[in-house]
Amino acid sequence: MLQPLRETCRRLLDDGTVQVVIGYGQAMRAVEPYPVFITDPNDVGQLVWNEQCRTNLVKYLLRQEIRALGKPAIVVKGCDERALVVLEQESQIERSEIVVIGVACDGMAEARCEVCDAHQPRFADHTIGHATNKEQSAERRYAHLAEFQERPIADRMDYWKAELERCVKCYACRQSCPLCYCQRCIVEKNRPAVLDTSPTLKGNFAWHIVRAFHLAGRCVGCDQCSRVCPEGIDLRLLNQSMARASEASFGHRSGTDPQAELVLGNFSKQDQEQFIR
Amino acid sequence: MARIGVFTCWCGENIARNVDVQSVAEQAAQLPGVRCSQTHKYMCSDPGQKLIRDTIAAERLDGVVIASCSPHMHLKTFRKAAEHADLNPYLVEMANVREQCSWVHSQRSRATAKAVDLIRVAVAKVRHNRALEPIQVPVTRKVLVVGGGVAGIQAALDIADSGVPVVLVEREPSIGGKMAGLSETFPTLDCSQCILTPRMVEVAQHPNITLHTCSEVEQVEGYVGNFRVTIRKQARYIDVDKCTGCGQCWNACPSKKTPSEFDYGLGKRTAIYTPFPQAVPARPVIDRDACLRLTKGRCGICVKKCQADAIRFDDQDELVSEDIGAIIVATGYQLYEIGKPDGQGRVTGYGEYGYGRYPDVISSLQFERLVSASGPTGGEIRRPSDGAVPKTVVFISCVGSRDNAKGLSYCSKICCMVNAKHTMLYKHKVHDGQAHVFYMDIRAGGKNYDEFVRRAIEQDGAHYHRGRVSKITQEDGRLIVRGVDTLAGEPLTIAADLVVLAAAMRPATGVEDLAQKVNVGYDEFGFLCESHPKLRPVETNAAGVFVCGACHGPKDIPESVTQASAAAAKVLLMFSRDRLYREPEIAHVQESACAGCFACRRSCPYHAIDPAEIRDRQGQLVRRVARVNPGLCMGCGTCVALCVSKSVDLEGFSEEQVYAMVESLR
Repeated sequence: MLQPLRETCRRLLDDGTVQVVIGYGQAMRAVEPYPVFITDPNDVGQLVWNEQCRTNLVKYLLRQEIRALGKPAIVVKGCDERALVVLEQESQIERSEIVVIGVACDGMAEARCEVCDAHQPRFADHTIGHATNKEQSAERRYAHLAEFQERPIADRMDYWKAELERCVKCYACRQSCPLCYCQRCIVEKNRPAVLDTSPTLKGNFAWHIVRAFHLAGRCVGCDQCSRVCPEGIDLRLLNQSMARASEASFGHRSGTDPQAELVLGNFSKQDQEQFIR
Repeated sequence: MARIGVFTCWCGENIARNVDVQSVAEQAAQLPGVRCSQTHKYMCSDPGQKLIRDTIAAERLDGVVIASCSPHMHLKTFRKAAEHADLNPYLVEMANVREQCSWVHSQRSRATAKAVDLIRVAVAKVRHNRALEPIQVPVTRKVLVVGGGVAGIQAALDIADSGVPVVLVEREPSIGGKMAGLSETFPTLDCSQCILTPRMVEVAQHPNITLHTCSEVEQVEGYVGNFRVTIRKQARYIDVDKCTGCGQCWNACPSKKTPSEFDYGLGKRTAIYTPFPQAVPARPVIDRDACLRLTKGRCGICVKKCQADAIRFDDQDELVSEDIGAIIVATGYQLYEIGKPDGQGRVTGYGEYGYGRYPDVISSLQFERLVSASGPTGGEIRRPSDGAVPKTVVFISCVGSRDNAKGLSYCSKICCMVNAKHTMLYKHKVHDGQAHVFYMDIRAGGKNYDEFVRRAIEQDGAHYHRGRVSKITQEDGRLIVRGVDTLAGEPLTIAADLVVLAAAMRPATGVEDLAQKVNVGYDEFGFLCESHPKLRPVETNAAGVFVCGACHGPKDIPESVTQASAAAAKVLLMFSRDRLYREPEIAHVQESACAGCFACRRSCPYHAIDPAEIRDRQGQLVRRVARVNPGLCMGCGTCVALCVSKSVDLEGFSEEQVYAMVESLR
């Protein structure tokens, strides 16, 4: 797997198709791979591929300093790829300006990988390796969430109070999210300020609820936010519940169909409105 | 430091009854930024407005709050008053202490407290108001009239006669609408076609009118004064320029079995046809579903017969684009579907009347064709089943109208007069016949209308029975009508030869689609909504779009014509100025914060948002952002709600203002 990956990247850099490859690199075996930005074909040896490549690299496509390097190629897994689809739908990337190297993935030893239905990349320009995509029912995909939502509402409120109490408003969730690309995040907006930015329980609730709403119908479930949270808050639960609502009410699963209309801001006579009642 | 004036209106008793206006004014004077607080019995009256003007000048006010009725009612009035006193009109806000306070509350003390709160909120808002200038837009002096019935014809002719070009779009092959199919009209019994067809010919010959028949509005873009309308012209299969309308083709056409739409199925027509002899344009059309050549590839007799070489079997639908300044919708009505099988073996509506099952139960529009000299029977009243002259005819009112259970809740307005007319026409043609009418109430409001009904009863001997019909059955070739005469207090059974149902008026099919294209609201029945029922009856809430005729509500011919002329006058008034002024309360994008996701663009119902490119000094593209077209934006605020980075704001309703309003209540 690694050799063909390195070869593909070398070729793309060699013939000038791209100026930079965004991929995974590793210093020591003990730590997780980190993103590398390879501009010299002779450096492709830095690229790695292993069971620790969990990070969704798509975020780096949007970074100004990476964009300055020239046309990029990006290494993605089948699940990361969904973020590319949404970014294209939201006019953030020009798909033809990016080379996507999809790597077949058998799972990254995470719980979500067991219900993954995107082991094999679907929209990549180059695909390395082969894996089989198995259909997963919505029940299975949202089992973790469903279990949580069965708990009494007071329980859940206590849970969130305890969890969000710990939030330190470091905004790592936002910084790592491939779909948080605003020039100016609403928490940075003043005159008038729109939400309580203090790292108090109230301010933390405001932030996480608003973020979940802003990701409604958009979150692709890469779980990068949960992964980077220094306090270990399971933010996935919030985003998943919006994703589940979008799927149940509008049949929309973000990032799975480049032709699909986005849920928010589109009106269809067929829309169900049960959630408003 | 703000210098705000608060003006609280008594509205006679309307506000003062439930709100202590004096106390409200005293409390309002204490609000931060308020310079003075006054009251007047009628603030909208001339002395009331003078009070506002004088106070603005004397106190050098920089903001005004009027606590009175709804902005919908009088905001324009008060803004104009402020303008006269040299205060920017957009520094005027209203607190609705009537509709939203005095009218809906009964406890005086609490209503008074609420009125103060409403003023508090408005004062907080006006402190953040900015002086705005109206947006000027150019105007294209050309009018689109949708629908070529009597209302559309009247509006088109009025406008065209004043020198303004008109594009008239009609869905059917001929203009004339429902009125062209009527025999005589109430209350004068003058021949419908005799008064309408000259007007139709006038339309066809008018140098300022472009007529598109067999056409529908496909798309409407743009905004008041600057619409771009795409019209779909359906293939007619006839070269209308070459065709002379001689009639050789339809006399020879072998496909003769299509029920005539114009005769409501009582007669038959050929596949190539003109709907009626006086049709405008006087050119035939080929029914693509009935023509043997178009369906089976055989025939072509019309091609051989045509001396003018005008038949075009390869004709295609055509899209025509027109630049339009104003739109008049006059799409008219259709009849309520009386007994419609619901597909599960039952019949919705009035299944018990047997319409569709018994050939001699017909609708009032079908009866018009039976009486009409140009109708399928040549004007002799003969019933559809066996062609016999009916000696007893029963007319039933309110079939679908005023019936919440089966039909529609509203009164269709014309049926009482139609029934009276029909009994008279019947009596004039069948002297020994007897007409019976079942009615709920006789509604004959209108000039010479009640006299007309009395004539039907007293001179022409129609029997009027106040009551409903419960069932109609067929026995030995006659229709047994079982009803009740509630004035006599007994059941009534009449053996009739013909039954005529006065079905309710409903808006024409497809009017909802059209309404969505031009952004006009419609009610639960599909009738289009006017801007104000009394003061703006032909305007709509979509600027530059006007309504007239039965698409707006049940109406008779005189009313439709009146409304059509009114709509024409409104359009001409709009065109009397070189430029149009639009409200400046529109959205604008803070481009430095915009992320360019274009959620706003996808959701904008007015297509008012376009992508704009931000480039650096070298001309390199930095990023794309959303930009609002001020000519198109209607200030609805959908984009503001959707923007995740809060980069869109609404002038006159900015977040700063709204937050200040909320904060003021803390």
